[in-house]
Amino acid sequence: MPMTDNEPDRTGLNVYLDAARARRAAPSSDLLARIMADAQAVQAAADLRPAPLRAGLAEQFYRLLGGWPAFAGLATAAATGVWLGTNLPVAPLSAGEVGYLVDIAPELAFDLAGGDF
Amino acid sequence: MDMPFDAMGETSDEALLVLFANGDGAAARVLTQRLTPRVMAHAYRLLGHHAEAEDVTQEAMLRLWKQAANWRQGEARVSTWLYRVVANLCIDRRRRARGVALESIPEPEDDTASAAEVLQDRARAAALQSALDALPDRQRQAVVLRHLDGLANPEIAEIMEITVEAVESLTSRGKRALAAALGARQEELGYADD
Repeated sequence: MPMTDNEPDRTGLNVYLDAARARRAAPSSDLLARIMADAQAVQAAADLRPAPLRAGLAEQFYRLLGGWPAFAGLATAAATGVWLGTNLPVAPLSAGEVGYLVDIAPELAFDLAGGDF
Repeated sequence: MDMPFDAMGETSDEALLVLFANGDGAAARVLTQRLTPRVMAHAYRLLGHHAEAEDVTQEAMLRLWKQAANWRQGEARVSTWLYRVVANLCIDRRRRARGVALESIPEPEDDTASAAEVLQDRARAAALQSALDALPDRQRQAVVLRHLDGLANPEIAEIMEITVEAVESLTSRGKRALAAALGARQEELGYADD
């Protein structure tokens, strides 16, 4: 039957456990000194470590925009604009449709055929 | 600037580790004095060898110093992390060098106990250590954490990365094995007189 913490100690094991608890191995002063020396060496090495480099201009711009989520949206919008500008299909106007065209700023028209200048 | 040494008595291990990572020398002293005795006692109980336990203690503390800058607050307690590191280092050493003889440790000062009682206690502690040495690694670790270091089962479960039920099973089997191993020596070691 398993022995649990609450059961009486019928085996006499607690006498041994008590003796072992009373005889706790202690660190020597030499060990404590070695551990402190290690600690100081680690701290000294950390002090000598170069500081992280200042972010470059591109990195600063990237962070200014708000990181990758904002940058991804901006890139998508730019790509869509380029596509619209270069690939949007324009159907040729028929003769009847041309009649509906209204020049909203005739003074700005550049007439090569009958210029007054 | 270092925090005054006396003011650190109530500071948690985790907070001291952050101070240490920021170059605070006093934090290093407090952590060394607070943690080293616990680490040393635990390592000795797992190894049964004083010099080896000192080596493991120094190595575990060195790993703690190196980990300090990357310590993630709130993830684990320093003591839990250290117990885990010590156990792993001890298991590695035991696998590399089986059968190392038990080395005696200095006799503790005890003015109230008679010389015979001291000798008897010393013999019992040595007998228990020998019996511990014969246990499987995980059983030994669980018994030492529970019955010698005095930790609660949930903390042991966290250290050993197992369930509380598994801890109870390991300690139960470990204690039965210890009792069986020591049973034959009870008369020799004076248990019958208690």
